[in-house]
Amino acid sequence: MAQHPIFAKQAQKARGFCTALLAATGLVATAHAALAAPRHAPAAPPAPAAPSFTAEQADHGAQIYAGTCAMCHGAALEGAHDMPPLRGLFVARWANTSLNKLYAYITHAMPLMAPGTLPPQDNIDVIAFLLRENGTEPGHTPLPADENRLAQMVFPAPNALPPVKAAQPGKAPRTR
Amino acid sequence: MKRRNLFAASLAAGALAAGRKSWASVPEAAQAMGRTAPPGTVPALTPARVHADQIMDIKVCLRPFRPAGPRLEIEPVADKIVVHNYGHGGSGWSLSWGSAAMAVERAAPLMEKHVAVIGCGIIGLTTAITAQRAGMNVTIYARDMLPHTRSVRANGSWTPDSRIALITAATPDFAATWERMARYSWQTYREYLGLPGNPVDFRDNYLLSDTPPDEADHTEPAPDISKGSYASTGVPQSEAEFAKYADRIKDIIPAAELLAGADNPFPVAYARRKPIMIYNFGAFGHALLSDFYQAGGRIEIREFHSPSEVADLPERVVFNCTGYAARDLWGDKSLIPVRGQTAWLPPQPAANYGVRYKGAAMLSKSDGLMVQGVNLSGLGELEGVGNSMEQPNRAEAEQAVAVFEDLFSRFRPRRG
Ligand SMILES: Cc1cc2nc3c(=O)[nH]c(=O)nc-3n(C[C@H](O)[C@H](O)[C@H](O)COP(=O)(O)OP(=O)(O)OC[C@H]3O[C@@H](n4cnc5c(N)ncnc54)[C@H](O)[C@@H]3O)c2cc1C
Repeated sequence: MAQHPIFAKQAQKARGFCTALLAATGLVATAHAALAAPRHAPAAPPAPAAPSFTAEQADHGAQIYAGTCAMCHGAALEGAHDMPPLRGLFVARWANTSLNKLYAYITHAMPLMAPGTLPPQDNIDVIAFLLRENGTEPGHTPLPADENRLAQMVFPAPNALPPVKAAQPGKAPRTR
Repeated sequence: MKRRNLFAASLAAGALAAGRKSWASVPEAAQAMGRTAPPGTVPALTPARVHADQIMDIKVCLRPFRPAGPRLEIEPVADKIVVHNYGHGGSGWSLSWGSAAMAVERAAPLMEKHVAVIGCGIIGLTTAITAQRAGMNVTIYARDMLPHTRSVRANGSWTPDSRIALITAATPDFAATWERMARYSWQTYREYLGLPGNPVDFRDNYLLSDTPPDEADHTEPAPDISKGSYASTGVPQSEAEFAKYADRIKDIIPAAELLAGADNPFPVAYARRKPIMIYNFGAFGHALLSDFYQAGGRIEIREFHSPSEVADLPERVVFNCTGYAARDLWGDKSLIPVRGQTAWLPPQPAANYGVRYKGAAMLSKSDGLMVQGVNLSGLGELEGVGNSMEQPNRAEAEQAVAVFEDLFSRFRPRRG
């Protein structure tokens, strides 16, 4: 069974233990259900798809990132006090947003000291790298450098907890 | 030996050092020991009134020391995700904001709007506020509010690598993690400078010594091999086992400067001055609570008796910020208590500085004049290790107070 991405990245030492626990809690199975039905989605029909990209794209994106982006966002995408991280909070900010918006933003605003200077394929590969670093597995279909097709995909939140189930007896969720 | 001579030379113009070497090599000494303060930059200092009959409170605290460094991990419990953030040793105040940012970063991809924080010490409060700043709605669950936590029994100054990890127990990447935490914290603390009540402030700290400070600073007692080490005994046995990281951030931390000759107002041979960042507990605690409530935070007083009780919480993401208490609550036996004690005298705003002398520290804060024995026994970082006696020790407090009573009895204030 695939490992829940957040544990793969963040709790490497406790790996076996977490996997077992996650399997027991059913988190892994339900994480993808959460993906299919995003809770914060501004989704318009047709239903947005999870993006696909190849490992080669992500590897190339990693090179572009190291040379062009890491000087501000950090070698490990960690950001700093005055610099946005590209993991963690980044997912919370972009999840369920269609990828053409992320592509447009990177194309127009990044890299900050020379916006718009990266060729389209480099920008696409950087997005592939960001997807992989934030827990989406690479696949066989490349991420397309095509805004219309990107508009059909959203940035996934692969670590999101499953949607809250209908109230269980004796465990009513608190309303605020 | 060479440096010792150089340093002595830099002070030879002072009466106390007369008879040592010539004044000629000041630039060399300054290069070896740090810059010499420009003449006239030391203000006329009001001596502090430090006497045992002025003690108004003695506070004792256990530093939550984890040889591997603070625990920042995710653990599923029942149907919750627990994000741990505890075990900051003698550096909890200093590293709080950076550690909070890392904990929140781990939680953010879980996309939960409502989160819980267990604990209302400095780690819990900063984690809660950092989560709010990331757009989360936060409820704090804690047994005690800040004034009753161990956090306010600290010294409360910038000490980011005090008993934070052991060299052999921390993972190789912890140094970089520490650096990120420290830089992030330092910058966040600056946001609280200059606010009414001075929740965060700077003090000139005078580092005094009767012997050349380079020796005291750089000579570590040779480890006693017969005592073993952390690896063989489960407890650190020598100072050299503690990881030190301060050099990684020296580009942003104000350095010490020498006070040469007549500029040294203290009755000791060697004085250095270093501006240090301090936390005034009352004002800062108030600022944090106000921030938290204004952002819609809620606090529920509640005691947890086992990890499984988090299952009862309505929130599904839970930050565990219970400090030393995680040893029992979470069964983390790697937490080693490191006892420390501070004595509090009435505030003395006229004597608005800190002093470090003969293993004791004095710091003038808005909520009192703090006096702490930091190394009275000569054990250094080992002092208090493994000691979980949380009762005040009056004799120890008086011993630390006596260091400054003696110092200021010999102090001759400058006139005009
Ligand atoms: C003498 C001394 C001097 C120090 N000086 C400095 C310094 O100058 N600079 C520095 O950076 N650090 C310093 N430290 C270290 C610093 O004080 C600690 O690292 C820090 O206070 C740890 O904070 P915390 O929030 O993790 O824990 P705590 O302050 O212990 O807070 C724990 C919180 O969890 C709650 N809690 C615990 N168990 C339960 C439970 N079962 N159910 C519900 N709630 C629970 C408590 O009520 C509390 O609210 C010093 C420490 C000592 C002892």
